[in-house]
Amino acid sequence: MMSAQKEPKHPFTPRLSRERIQETFVFGLLRGMTFFVLFCAAFLFWDILSKGAGKIFEGEGLINWEFLTEHPQTLHVIGEGEDEIKLSSSNYYRLKDEKMYEKWNTFKGTSDYKNKRNQLFEASKAIQDEWTDQALVLADARFIEREQGKLSDKFSFWTELVTNFESTASDFEIKREEVLPMVSQFMLGHFEKERGRLQLLSDQLMLFRAQQYPKIENLTKENLKQIQLAYNQFLAQAPQTYNLAMREFGEEATITFNDFYSKEGPKEFGRFAEALVAYSSVRQTFLEEDQNMSNWDDLQQCLSPFKEAMTVALPSRDFAYSGGGIFPAIVGTLLLVVGAMAISIVLGVFCAIFLAEYGKSGKFISMVRLAILNLAGVPSIIFGLFGFGLFVIFLDWNVSLLAGWFTLAFMVLPIVITASEEALRSIPQGFRESSLALGATKWTMIKTSVLPFAMPGILTSSILGVARAAGETAPIMFTAAYAKRSELPWEGLEHWTDFFFQGVMALPYHIYVVSAKIPQNEYTADMQYGTAFIFLLLVVGIASLSIMLRNRLRKKYRW
Amino acid sequence: MQEAPTANPENSSSENTEEYREPAIRIKELDFLYGNNQVIHNVTLDIFPKEIMAFIGPSGCGKSTLLRCLNRMNDLVEGARIGKGSIEIHGVDLHDKSVDVIELRKKVGMVFQKSNPFPKSIYQNVAYGLQIQGVKSKRVVDQKVEESLRKAALWEEVKDRLNENAYGLSGGQQQRLCIARTLAVEPEIILMDEPCSALDPVATGRVEELILELKNEYTIVVVTHNMQQAGRISDRTAFFYLGKLIECDLTKKIFLNPSKQQTEDYISGKFG
Repeated sequence: MMSAQKEPKHPFTPRLSRERIQETFVFGLLRGMTFFVLFCAAFLFWDILSKGAGKIFEGEGLINWEFLTEHPQTLHVIGEGEDEIKLSSSNYYRLKDEKMYEKWNTFKGTSDYKNKRNQLFEASKAIQDEWTDQALVLADARFIEREQGKLSDKFSFWTELVTNFESTASDFEIKREEVLPMVSQFMLGHFEKERGRLQLLSDQLMLFRAQQYPKIENLTKENLKQIQLAYNQFLAQAPQTYNLAMREFGEEATITFNDFYSKEGPKEFGRFAEALVAYSSVRQTFLEEDQNMSNWDDLQQCLSPFKEAMTVALPSRDFAYSGGGIFPAIVGTLLLVVGAMAISIVLGVFCAIFLAEYGKSGKFISMVRLAILNLAGVPSIIFGLFGFGLFVIFLDWNVSLLAGWFTLAFMVLPIVITASEEALRSIPQGFRESSLALGATKWTMIKTSVLPFAMPGILTSSILGVARAAGETAPIMFTAAYAKRSELPWEGLEHWTDFFFQGVMALPYHIYVVSAKIPQNEYTADMQYGTAFIFLLLVVGIASLSIMLRNRLRKKYRW
Repeated sequence: MQEAPTANPENSSSENTEEYREPAIRIKELDFLYGNNQVIHNVTLDIFPKEIMAFIGPSGCGKSTLLRCLNRMNDLVEGARIGKGSIEIHGVDLHDKSVDVIELRKKVGMVFQKSNPFPKSIYQNVAYGLQIQGVKSKRVVDQKVEESLRKAALWEEVKDRLNENAYGLSGGQQQRLCIARTLAVEPEIILMDEPCSALDPVATGRVEELILELKNEYTIVVVTHNMQQAGRISDRTAFFYLGKLIECDLTKKIFLNPSKQQTEDYISGKFG
């Protein structure tokens, strides 16, 4: 008024006010947060896609079909750097076989092959002749004698220890009371060790231990003497056991040898050679002090060119679980999703119908609602334990598809029920009233003029819920998932019901196994991201399917 | 049969009917409550066969509730109950234990305020009532659908697109479709809850014409906010206020010479 104004002022000139500052600030904040979320999501997807795509599109051809159609295998990496070749087990052994055949054929083509073969035949015949029962008995008796001597020494040491415990205990800085338990522990451990070393004796050792067990547990000086006596006696009877087992072993070797000459192939030969080598190592244990080994050495010498022809050097670095594919896991996940979806939708929709259409408001209904809400908040590992306790242990379904289905279904039940109830409530009351007014019973009304129209909503939310649950590892790790299974779900079924009682591999659990249960390296990382990539595709697939389904149904029933 | 109470003046001073007629619906001293909230107070009213009875009154006066009592749609509402009195159709108390509400609703059809065809084809909408009754024969259903649509004066408009979604129809057509759907179940009585309140004047006209035609075969009870409409279509009019039946008489008389002050005030627009 009094001074000349710098700017022409009209009533709508902006003024700086508190509200205006707030407005600008809040707008910026909201936009920033939204962009942050977007950035995180984009980063996640980019990470999985970029790293996973490597596994999917590696190798020859556009798509690495092996990854999608094979079982998980060990990865064999041959060579280094630029020249490295990655082979899954099956391919690696195929390559090895091929090379072996090549080598074998070259060997067969040489001039002295026939000569060597005859030599081998003669040598093995000679050695078979030498393996008489008498020789075996002699050798075994010698072995037992030696073992007995060693064991007696050990036993005497401990017997002495117990007898002179007062002096000895002080040497070892142990108390008097501790001596007897220590002796019995030693004896138990000793029997365990003997069992492992001498497989042939295992049954007898177990029997002996079972017989003497009470005495070993409550060791006294008297007991110790008795046990020692019994043990020596037991060892004296053992040679018969050895003989029997050895004879069986010898027969097997002969059969393999004959097979080799009748079929003539590297595979048979390989088996024969293995059997002979194994035989020789066992036998050497018995015949250590035997001077008459000339026949045996002859045989070994004759074998060597054959063995050499069979040995293919294909040095590789091996990485468990990093080769092959994830086909069984894809199949398993699909099975789990479909089954869990069916169970949860049936259960959930029926429950939702009851709550939305039949349930009068009351204490019971509000309790049910509260329970459902709480169920939604239970951590997935708890569902896993619940499924393990109820289905796997109590109902004795073992680790099986059925147990996994029900566990997953229970986990998504709250989502399905809430979504279905929401969908049912969104159906105009008018449909219900007009249906009833036309003389429909309540169930007819629900069946014909509520449920069909609510179905799009129910299906979309339920399928999305189940797809999310399909990614959970915790509920299935105790109930349905195997880390590795060589059969596909439809293989090796004796009866059709077996289908439901078998465990399967599953993608989320596979990701867990390859990222937490095995040594980590670049090759397992490829596997992890490849699996995650496929899993992402699967979830996107399920989600788009459900959306397509919804759109179709919506088009059919629009109001 | 006893002499009808005061709410049935037709009997004594009828201009067009001389003889006594058996009422189609007889409401006796009805009290109706939602929980503890009484919404209908001691209503006694007879509705005669093949007449159009209009219920008028301001919002919340209980006219819709009374209408919905007539085919027990109020069963759906939690806490709704009869306090005392009875509703009889063919001399049978509707709230008797032996009455099957499903059978009742087949005989007493209802058309709602908001046209609410099912989101299905026109044909399926009309056939719905038959199909839920288990009529399987395609021929019977076809015939009935056509007959109902003709009665509802909709056949000519929709006969070429019976399989299209009912929501492709205009508002008035949808409402007539709902009437056709009701007719297909062969009711005796049709209850209409403000059937034209969502329609434009032209569509309203068509529906009103239709209602007048249907009068020849059906007993019709119409709830309406539109007093002109009541005047145009109804034979008799009942005026409700605060849950009480204030007056029930020939429409002409109600509009020209009501016997109660309240009725006159309402009709002339002093309140409501």
